[in-house]
Amino acid sequence: MSGRPFYKRGGFVNTLSRRSFLLKAGIITTGILLNGCIRRLKPNGAYKNIKGSMKGPNAKAGHILRDKLPLPAPIGNRKVKTLIIGGGISGLSAARWLKRQGYNDFELLELEDHVGGNSHSGKNGVSPYPLGAHYITIANNDDTLLTGFLQDCGVIIGFENNLPVYNDYYLCFDPEERLLINGQWQEGIVPDFGLQPGDKAQIKQFFALVDELKKAKGNDGKYAFDIPIDNSSADEKYRALDSITFKEYLHQQKLTSVYLHWYLNYCCKDDYGQKIDKVSAWAGMHYFASRRGKAANADTNAVLTWPEGNGWLTKKLAADASGHIIKGHMCYSIAHNAQGKVVTSIYDIAKGTTSLITADNVIMATPQFVNQRLFKDHIIRPVDYASLNYSPWFIANITVNSLPQAKGTGLCWDNVAYDTPSVGYVNAGQQSVKLTDNKRVLTWYLPLCDHEPRIARLAAYTRTYEQWMDIMMPELEYMHPGITDAIENVECWVWGHGMIYPAVNHIWGANRKAAQQPVNNNVFFANTDLSGISIFEEAFHQGIRAASQVLANYGKQAIT
Amino acid sequence: MNKKLHALLLISVFVVATCGLIYELIAGTLASYLLGDSVTQFSTIIGVYLFSMGIGSWVSKYFEKNIISWFIQLEILVGLVGGTSSTILFLVFESIASFRIILYSLVGITGILVGLEIPLLMRILKDRYEFKDLVSKVFTFDYIGALLASLIFPLLLIPYLGLVKTSYLVGILNVGVALIVCVSFKKEIKAAAYLQTSAVISILALLVGFVYAGVITNFSESLTYADTIIYSKSTPYQRIILTKKGKVLRLFLNGNLQFSSDDEYRYHEALVHPGLQALPNARNVLVMGGGDGLAVREILKYPNIKSVTLVDLDKGMTGLFKSNRMLLNLNKSSLLSPKVMVINADAFTWLRQNKTKFDFMVIDFPDPSNYSVGKLYTNSFYKLAKGILAPGGIMVIQATSPYVAPKSFWTVDTTLRSVGLHTIPYHNYVPSFGEWGYIMATENPVYKKPSMFLPGMRFITKESLDLMFYFPKDMAKVQTEVNKLNNQVLVKYFEDEWSSVL
Repeated sequence: MSGRPFYKRGGFVNTLSRRSFLLKAGIITTGILLNGCIRRLKPNGAYKNIKGSMKGPNAKAGHILRDKLPLPAPIGNRKVKTLIIGGGISGLSAARWLKRQGYNDFELLELEDHVGGNSHSGKNGVSPYPLGAHYITIANNDDTLLTGFLQDCGVIIGFENNLPVYNDYYLCFDPEERLLINGQWQEGIVPDFGLQPGDKAQIKQFFALVDELKKAKGNDGKYAFDIPIDNSSADEKYRALDSITFKEYLHQQKLTSVYLHWYLNYCCKDDYGQKIDKVSAWAGMHYFASRRGKAANADTNAVLTWPEGNGWLTKKLAADASGHIIKGHMCYSIAHNAQGKVVTSIYDIAKGTTSLITADNVIMATPQFVNQRLFKDHIIRPVDYASLNYSPWFIANITVNSLPQAKGTGLCWDNVAYDTPSVGYVNAGQQSVKLTDNKRVLTWYLPLCDHEPRIARLAAYTRTYEQWMDIMMPELEYMHPGITDAIENVECWVWGHGMIYPAVNHIWGANRKAAQQPVNNNVFFANTDLSGISIFEEAFHQGIRAASQVLANYGKQAIT
Repeated sequence: MNKKLHALLLISVFVVATCGLIYELIAGTLASYLLGDSVTQFSTIIGVYLFSMGIGSWVSKYFEKNIISWFIQLEILVGLVGGTSSTILFLVFESIASFRIILYSLVGITGILVGLEIPLLMRILKDRYEFKDLVSKVFTFDYIGALLASLIFPLLLIPYLGLVKTSYLVGILNVGVALIVCVSFKKEIKAAAYLQTSAVISILALLVGFVYAGVITNFSESLTYADTIIYSKSTPYQRIILTKKGKVLRLFLNGNLQFSSDDEYRYHEALVHPGLQALPNARNVLVMGGGDGLAVREILKYPNIKSVTLVDLDKGMTGLFKSNRMLLNLNKSSLLSPKVMVINADAFTWLRQNKTKFDFMVIDFPDPSNYSVGKLYTNSFYKLAKGILAPGGIMVIQATSPYVAPKSFWTVDTTLRSVGLHTIPYHNYVPSFGEWGYIMATENPVYKKPSMFLPGMRFITKESLDLMFYFPKDMAKVQTEVNKLNNQVLVKYFEDEWSSVL
């Protein structure tokens, strides 16, 4: 409401009798009070049967870094040959690789009391559940580093006709996905039910384009789109796609169907946390055209998943290096000393004490926005930190004792409703072979992409549990009328910096390349923000790449 | 005494007579539903009932004062006992041992109370009519009431209300008579207010029973079953319904017929004997599903069998087939045999943990009509099953109808072969199901047709086995995909093939 009518009304107040003024004032005051009460009462009333809490990454540690809070002076200074900072997938992968190459003189520091980064998971009485990344697709067959790891951890159990045989219990059980569209649950997420022929034709056209680009190779003989991203062709013909948005590209291709755009928005939100108008066309097509994995017992694009999502992969990845991992320790400053060694300042979160570790090599398996704060003015890189964008996410794990059924396909692993803010929910119990599980945990994912990430992040940090419920419940009720009564517990989790997103010119621009360069040949970098897309495979390869750079310092041949 | 009151008392006779006969019919019907053999049940029930009425008439002479008050109390009591009788009988039916005692006690009590009614009424009326008029009027109304009861019971009450609701309704009528008599004669009786209150409370209680009768036997459910439902229970996993028509018992799980007692022998003989007869040295047998104990009954016919392990998800199911007299007769108390160990567990989960090997395995799951059950027909499941098959052992799988659902049937075959098993598909005719299919699977191609079968088989012979192994053109093998956890093709085939039939 603008100020002007208020003054007008203010003037009007003077002409009112005392009684009617008091009456009005009373009504307004009551209104304000009531409004406040209702706001406070409503959530408690509507969600009174629902238990749960708000959680997220260690906020205290984050504040120390961001707000540069004073810490006690460091006591002691020990020496470590190689120090890995950050226990997400790339850090764990680096540790695993060092170990596998017979290199044991390293430590891995993790500020949380658990490793895994955004492949973190939780557990309750009903089921384990993901708190972030929750699946991978079957590996590209030429990605032997990845297939090697998958063999090590029993995901690939053998080979038939040169094709990997995947463990049946990890391949996503059927039925896999469904979409609530035009009043009905259809099988599969690509919109189909109730679509006009024109929309269907455009969707077909898009997938024909995908098939073409899947096979396409650049003039250097490399695939146009590959995993890891840095294996992709340097051919300008394809790389040029990185300088326009996915949306612009679709318009160039005359692909304008609302349903197709919804679907591609959904996909980009799912993988990058942003929509097609923010993501580069190269990244948008990479999602579809980079996966060519063939298996003896599954289709291309088949999904591997576990009740705890990629938390399962975290455990396997960490298994080899578990003796080297130190949790609850945060690095808050890094500098080179006079001898050129790397001096790191470490904060013991439980004890509240600090100490120094001097290392020959450091692998920074941390995102660049964190590195910027650790390096301060000590280490200068030609990196434009401000141009790196991270999508914030909200994740809710919902324990239900039943699921109101609707028309069409029944519960799948991935359940999405057309034209809703979230990207739907996955059923954590999908891989259970039990006949009946009435109680289930559903993991609901909401990328916060309606505002600039910075603003969305700040808003997310200040939201209360009830406010998150106010955002989530209407959508869940739309998907399953009456579900509120079936909900026992909702655990909320906010990722302020959930994942890097591949904005225009990020993947093939100069900045990403600069950020990958080691400093002084003893500070190395491994994080998915150096790939530009946040998927398990990239983190896995980032870790191996950085570990190989360290090993090269000891005369071992680098892998990449 | 005015005419209105005369009429009222005679109408009471009429109602009382109608109700009395309906209680008798309810007891007889219930007994023949639950215990079978309607001739015996009806005869004994009618006998006990009439005899009890005689006791009631004899006892009536000991009521000397306050006859109207006694009559009212009696009516309330008849209403309460009669009204709740069928509920009580349905509820105690599960604990079958005491069922007959409770049945005949209830029939006896109702009979005695009903037997008291007419003598007491006649004594109330004795000073108001001449003896010949009294006898003529009372018995006229008594017999008209009986005619009405015998007509409305089968034509209206049972089809529209069902047994339990009928009992409550009749109980309400009885207490209603008490209430009306009480109001009309309030000057002649002591403690009229007390009797009136009891009557009202009783009517309300019976009304509650009437409204909630659906919980005991779901009437809308009974409409979907052709036969009378004699048992129904929702376990955490499924809804178990047992129906009876004549001597034939049928078991339904979630509305799907599992067996019909008149032809289940065809199914279970075909399921067990082609395999087990070929394994003279078999010792240990595993049955998965089959909580009815009927396959176990067939297995226990072989003296060489030392142990049978039955894995069935539902305790409600195995519990029923361990305790109900009729069902124990049917499965020959197989689940109570010391050789049998019943494990109530999820088959897939159990199989993943189990290390014991078995010489013969019967995999008798419900049809793959949903994704949950479909998992039990996947290559992953059969891989585990193969892992616990003893050398030279045989497993047999119920595999739906090769006639109605050939693709589904042959998918099971393809899936078994995909894990390296040799299969021997066969089929027979089970009237309740139609043409039905089974598949034996072995690790090596070792199966030899048995040259003879145990004595006492009702269906299977050496000659019929040859026919069972032969697949005519309309059931011939078709190419299908392998059913896997990540494609569940079987559920889709099954849905397609049966949706055109059902």
